[in-house]
Amino acid sequence: MDRKWLGQAVLGALIVLGVLSLLIVLSGQPLSVGYVKILQGALGWPPSETLTPLDAWDSVLHDMTLVLLTGLSVAVALQAGLFNIGAAGQLLMGAMVASWVGVQQGIPAPVHLPLTLGAGALAGALWGLIPALLKVWRGAHEVISTIMFNYIALYLTHWLVIEYLKDPAGDAPQTAPVLETAQLAPLGAFLSTTWGFVLAVAMALGFWLVLYRTVWGYELRATGANRDAAEAGGAPTRRRMMESMLLAGAFAGLAGAIEVCGASGRFFEGFPTDYGFDGIAVALLGANNPMLILLSAWVMSALRSGTYNLHSETGAPKEIAVIVQAVLILYVAAVYLRKQRVEGS
Amino acid sequence: MGEVFDLQLINTAMRQSTPLILAALGGLMSERVGVVNIGLEGKILMGAFAGALGALFTGSPWIGLVCAILVGLTFALIHAVATQELRTDHIVSGVAINLLALGLSTYLFRQIIVPLEEQGKSSVVQGFAPIRVGWLSEVPILGALLTDQTWLVVFAFLLPIALWYLLRTTRWGLRVYAVGNDSVKSRTMGVPVKRLRYLGVLLSGAFAGMAGAFLTLASADQFRENMSAGRGFIALAALIFGRWHPIGAALAAFAFGFFEALQMRLQGQPLFGVQLPTDLLLMLPYLLTVIALMGFLGRMKPPSDLGN
Repeated sequence: MDRKWLGQAVLGALIVLGVLSLLIVLSGQPLSVGYVKILQGALGWPPSETLTPLDAWDSVLHDMTLVLLTGLSVAVALQAGLFNIGAAGQLLMGAMVASWVGVQQGIPAPVHLPLTLGAGALAGALWGLIPALLKVWRGAHEVISTIMFNYIALYLTHWLVIEYLKDPAGDAPQTAPVLETAQLAPLGAFLSTTWGFVLAVAMALGFWLVLYRTVWGYELRATGANRDAAEAGGAPTRRRMMESMLLAGAFAGLAGAIEVCGASGRFFEGFPTDYGFDGIAVALLGANNPMLILLSAWVMSALRSGTYNLHSETGAPKEIAVIVQAVLILYVAAVYLRKQRVEGS
Repeated sequence: MGEVFDLQLINTAMRQSTPLILAALGGLMSERVGVVNIGLEGKILMGAFAGALGALFTGSPWIGLVCAILVGLTFALIHAVATQELRTDHIVSGVAINLLALGLSTYLFRQIIVPLEEQGKSSVVQGFAPIRVGWLSEVPILGALLTDQTWLVVFAFLLPIALWYLLRTTRWGLRVYAVGNDSVKSRTMGVPVKRLRYLGVLLSGAFAGMAGAFLTLASADQFRENMSAGRGFIALAALIFGRWHPIGAALAAFAFGFFEALQMRLQGQPLFGVQLPTDLLLMLPYLLTVIALMGFLGRMKPPSDLGN
């Protein structure tokens, strides 16, 4: 492996550990306690009296399912040269639509779950397609339009959940729980992580194959690397850009649907959107490669669960994970994603 | 209709739009020299926190304001160094800055202000007092608009005019225009591109910091987690809507502030006999921006050298 790359990776790890240590100390915890709590939450080791290893892994794998999919969402767009800041909104739309399909009576059992997940993915895909159309037809920058669509999705789903889709069986601003036929089963008797995790990993593997082993994937990457050259070489770059955003939205929408059919069981006011933004960090850290994203999604989720355990056991603010993540993005962007120097600028 | 549309509504709209105008003009200073700035949201949030903290510990809103501006400048400096020295992608840097601000302000809030509250101490800060309008209150319309406003509101409404004048007439303004349109040619002509970019990005930090300070020192008198609540992105929308022009951006920001005021005023009341849901009114600025981006309101053309 490249020596320089290794050096930069080691420096990055040192910076992250430095920031993490500083934040633990500033939270009034000894470093030894802080790191033990984080490791317990992240790996289920060393043994803890309050958290079983299974609980720790459940928490990590639950988060990993979601950030893996939002990470793939950001990555597929970036592979085609588009920056999808809209995974959060696409996730919301997917979750909202899945929660609606998931409560419909009379759909036969073997069809209901795939239909619900598919509807969520489709909703996310369409939500991702609009900014792509604006980009291709009107030249509107996708970063701006996906940010706008995040907020539109936020208010739209909030409006729907309190006005039209509220669970009639209560006053809480949430939909009715999805029917049993639309629920994802847990992976095992002891693990409450659902088959959604397996589905997400399968998506990563499948996306890797398509990206690196098909002409379509080649054209997608060519479009992102140099659109003019790809166009000259005969790749339909506009089509590929739109398809990449469709797929990006589908990944994020599927994440929302998996959450609705799995852990949360329904859509509710304040449905978490931070998984959408974590996807940006996961994709950047994983260099937009689905295989590396599997790894970076695990790292981010372990960090999240670890700091959450530190928070629940010592009261240290759980935002430590957010700060570390921001530092990590800045470092990765500054070291690995530098732009080519333009002559004279 | 008299009970919905009156001068008091405009008065509230001016207050609601003040942070949006300040932040939008901040974004303008940065984007006009070619640096994309989606980190406005984070700088507003950090400004709000620093403003509250400074005022809480000194009892002076002025010191709070200075703290907010300094923190805004610091965050802007990160963006400037990342984009100009390390040649980081502008959007990635902005995303990281927003995350950093969200994490840091919430972390510090929980570590510093929440413990105070748990000890039973107040976290309410001494904010800016409304300006004394004196004889002006007798002037029709203007008197009603200025009632209960802080000087920051007046400042925010005069700033676009000042910036418009400065950008049009001074050497600095013309150079800003040149750099934003073609940085390579500008450099060849001897324009100090990097210095102008640093200045632009730093100004954006100062204005966004002020916008944040307005939230805690002239509006809510208290910091709350993530209290910027998307204002940085509405400001960005106003900047696009206003076509990167100081007056245009300020007018768009005022329009968005007006929707907020209208939404607060209606609170479930019908308008023209129609019950408008709060969420749809809150969505309006974003929706309008998308429509603007579609090109129905003329071509939205950013400075041509943006993002390089």
